Amino acid sequence: MLMRCLVALLLGLVTLVAPAADLAQSVRERLAQPPVLRGEFEQRKQVAGFKKPLLSRGDFIVARERGVLWRTTSPFASQLRLTRNEIVATQGGQVAFRLDAAKEPSVRMINALLFALLNGDIDALTEHFGVDGEASGQQWQLVLTPKSAALARLMTRVSLSGDQYVRQIDIAEANGDRTAIRFSAQHSTPSRLSGEEAARFD
Amino acid sequence: MTESGLPKHSARWLAWGWLLIVLAIAGHNLYLWTGARLRLDTDILAMLPQNERDPLVQGATRQLADAAARRIVVLVGGKDWAMAKRAGDAYAAVLQTARVSMALRYRVDDDAAATWLGFFTPYRYGLLTDAQRTHLQQQSPEQLAGEAIEALYRPLAMPRIGAWHDDPLNLFGGWLGTRAADSKVRVTDGRLSLAEGERQYALLMLEQQGPAFSLAAQQALLPVLQQAAQAAAAHGAQIHAVGVPLHAAAAARQAEREMHTIGLGSLIGIVLLTWFVFSAFKPRLLVMLSIAVGLLAAISVCALLFGRLHLITLVFGASLVGVAENYGSNYFSNRQGRPPAERWAMLREQGPAMWLAMLTTVVGYALLALTPFPGLRQIAVFSAVGLLAAFVTVLWWFPWLDGGRRMEATRLSRWIGGGRGHWPVLGRNRITALLLVVVAALLLAGLGQLRSNDDIRLLQNSPAALIADQQTVARLLDLPGPAQFYLVQGQSAEQVLQREEALKQRLTPLVERGVLGGVQAISDWVPSAARQAQNRAVYQQLLDSPDGVLARAARLLDEQLVASPRTDRALQLHDWLAAPVSEPLRAQWLGRLGDGYASVVLLRGIQGVAKLPQLATAARTVPGVRWVDKVAEVSDVMGRYRVLMGWVILAAYVLVFAALSARFGRSAWRALLPTALASALTLALLALLGQSLQLFNVLALLLILGMGVDYGIFLLAQPDPDEARPFLSITLAAICTLLAFGLLALSATPALRAFGLTMLFGISLAWLLTPSFTTAFRSTSTGSC
Repeated sequence: MLMRCLVALLLGLVTLVAPAADLAQSVRERLAQPPVLRGEFEQRKQVAGFKKPLLSRGDFIVARERGVLWRTTSPFASQLRLTRNEIVATQGGQVAFRLDAAKEPSVRMINALLFALLNGDIDALTEHFGVDGEASGQQWQLVLTPKSAALARLMTRVSLSGDQYVRQIDIAEANGDRTAIRFSAQHSTPSRLSGEEAARFD
Repeated sequence: MTESGLPKHSARWLAWGWLLIVLAIAGHNLYLWTGARLRLDTDILAMLPQNERDPLVQGATRQLADAAARRIVVLVGGKDWAMAKRAGDAYAAVLQTARVSMALRYRVDDDAAATWLGFFTPYRYGLLTDAQRTHLQQQSPEQLAGEAIEALYRPLAMPRIGAWHDDPLNLFGGWLGTRAADSKVRVTDGRLSLAEGERQYALLMLEQQGPAFSLAAQQALLPVLQQAAQAAAAHGAQIHAVGVPLHAAAAARQAEREMHTIGLGSLIGIVLLTWFVFSAFKPRLLVMLSIAVGLLAAISVCALLFGRLHLITLVFGASLVGVAENYGSNYFSNRQGRPPAERWAMLREQGPAMWLAMLTTVVGYALLALTPFPGLRQIAVFSAVGLLAAFVTVLWWFPWLDGGRRMEATRLSRWIGGGRGHWPVLGRNRITALLLVVVAALLLAGLGQLRSNDDIRLLQNSPAALIADQQTVARLLDLPGPAQFYLVQGQSAEQVLQREEALKQRLTPLVERGVLGGVQAISDWVPSAARQAQNRAVYQQLLDSPDGVLARAARLLDEQLVASPRTDRALQLHDWLAAPVSEPLRAQWLGRLGDGYASVVLLRGIQGVAKLPQLATAARTVPGVRWVDKVAEVSDVMGRYRVLMGWVILAAYVLVFAALSARFGRSAWRALLPTALASALTLALLALLGQSLQLFNVLALLLILGMGVDYGIFLLAQPDPDEARPFLSITLAAICTLLAFGLLALSATPALRAFGLTMLFGISLAWLLTPSFTTAFRSTSTGSC
């Protein structure tokens, strides 16, 4: 899964290089980048050495002020929550995985990068990736290649495509795993989190 | 000319013989100073005893301290990483152009993690964290298989190294993550970095190569660091630089500054005084010659005896040798107003009193040498040798060197000397009653409030900014403290690692209860061979068994999954020690120590001093493990030696009293009691000022004894109130002593200030009281005692 790769940041990396200005500009023009983005996903993961891909489905919320909620409904119910201060994975109400920003400063960067991927924030992505791609009509495509050796040791390539929203992400991991995520039913209204949604962030 | 006006034949031989010795000493000093062959210590802790009980603890502490003493850590903080990076680069650039003698670690391989992985991956099946082991024991294979599959779908986890079927629970990834979390330092942009909330820091580490710092190298480093800090600050960054060398350099700079100001101040005062009293500079030049000979002799002997010299020994010792002032001033006070030819006879007449004065002081110093403080021993040897050499110079050289001219009394010398006649003399009179009341009141009020405080941290006097930086950096890096740790010993390296593992198991509940932030041990990185074998067996059960986690997961996933063949290679301690990955923890491995091996387990985030006993208890449950609390031990030792020193002083009083009795018979108490009273009053005054008593106050009391008794001896040897010369002599000596020591009360070094303040009170009081006890009544000059 794509986010797993981002943990490469645990091992440290950030490079600041001027973004590919024209491409960035044309993709930015097409993207909505709302304060709150909701949608559904379908993830196909081909693990190296496995015959069949692993299929999972669920929904997600990307809230600029709060972070990211990634809820898998099939084949298991589980949830991943990324906020400023921690990353928590829960499974049936049990915490399966937790990273605390106080202990692991990279949590903030992972959060920012995941937000950037789901939202198509090309400026943030260029910190970590070389960006290539094209835009025509409503559509755009980007190919990201890791800038640092540390990230390259974990993922070889990330492809993004979409229109006003990011519609598909393909990740090639260095260990041979391939992950393809398709997004659907994305919408940006209401532009504020409901009470129930906000509670899920706490 | 009478016979007594001629020097004895032997006097000539003594003078020439002493010249030969002085020339040898001068030559030795030239050799020491020109080739920088003399090692000057600057760390005040070097004055304290190394742990007297256990050479192992001593070795452990020294090794840890040595590693720390070589390192300077600089954090360059900015509001974002771009700023921190620019400022950090600027800082590093200054260091590189200045070519400091230290190795800089800042720019590192961007893929430092690859070095890590490359090193540990071959041994991955021997490596499990304690939490992982517990988890694997508590869960059934079905539960674990379920977890493994769930994790496959879970969007975020530690990165997996290698194929899924070789580590379905990603235990190696978890192990690496736990190890990474031990340190807050990361590699960003090919630079060492650190983040706290929004703030980003560039981290620079300077390490001294080869032997420890020389004072000169430290002094040379400071301006470079300052310049580097300015360059970084120009980018808007905040700089925190810490390290033992910085503390030592600050202390040395302050000591030097004070030697210049306090030393110069006392020199000017003393020269002026001599001029007005003797209306000539020659007496001053000769007294300075005697003290110079004393100092050179002291340096020579200390260098031969100890091989090194502490800066504090120089500061203290030079002052203590200044007591030789007493002898020179006594010579000239007695010489003044007599025909030059009488000087040999005068010396013969004064000789016994001067010898007695010198010996009673040296006795005090010599008793100091009996204490187990290396610093005090050095000071004792330094000052006793210096005093003796200066004394001999006065006695054997002065009559030859003073030129044999007439020295007339001056107005000032007559006025001072005449003071004795007006001094109130104790007896059945009002002044005695008044004195008794005042003394009794002061003693009652003061001594009741006398408190002691031996906390070693009182001796710490680094600049506040440096201490603030120290705290900031310790918090940001979450470094384990060097003051408290566990010392783990064993017959073999393997046993040491096993005992570390047993200890860590005992500490786990304490970490969970929050008594302790965490533990940092070698065995975190290199488990014992036994533990690695257990871990490999766990993996074998997990991966190869038909009922194992992999087999169950494969059935659930409907996949054909078989683990790759594995090697049994265990990670060896020496391989790890030789690899760059061990750098941050290497100092914790003490290697061969005594007849076994030893390591140190460090602790992070101890929650308050009150929790220390719990940690000490944990050590007792594991064989070969010892709890070491350096701060408490040294403070405790300081306290015990303060008490010990108190007994030394009492013993010295007894010895001095015996010596005085031999000379003065039943009047001996008159020479001693004023000094004893002065010391008691000094303690009372210190208490009333709210000063708590520490070793350095008590040290001063010993010197007050040595000097105060001199005053008693010189006056009691000539008790007639009209004998002005001895009073002139002790007054000059007291003023010079106050100029030398009283000024130490202005020192910013707490130890010196405590010492100086005590001397200020004690010497003033001893000078004030002694004439009242040692002067006979004018009417009954043969009165009983």
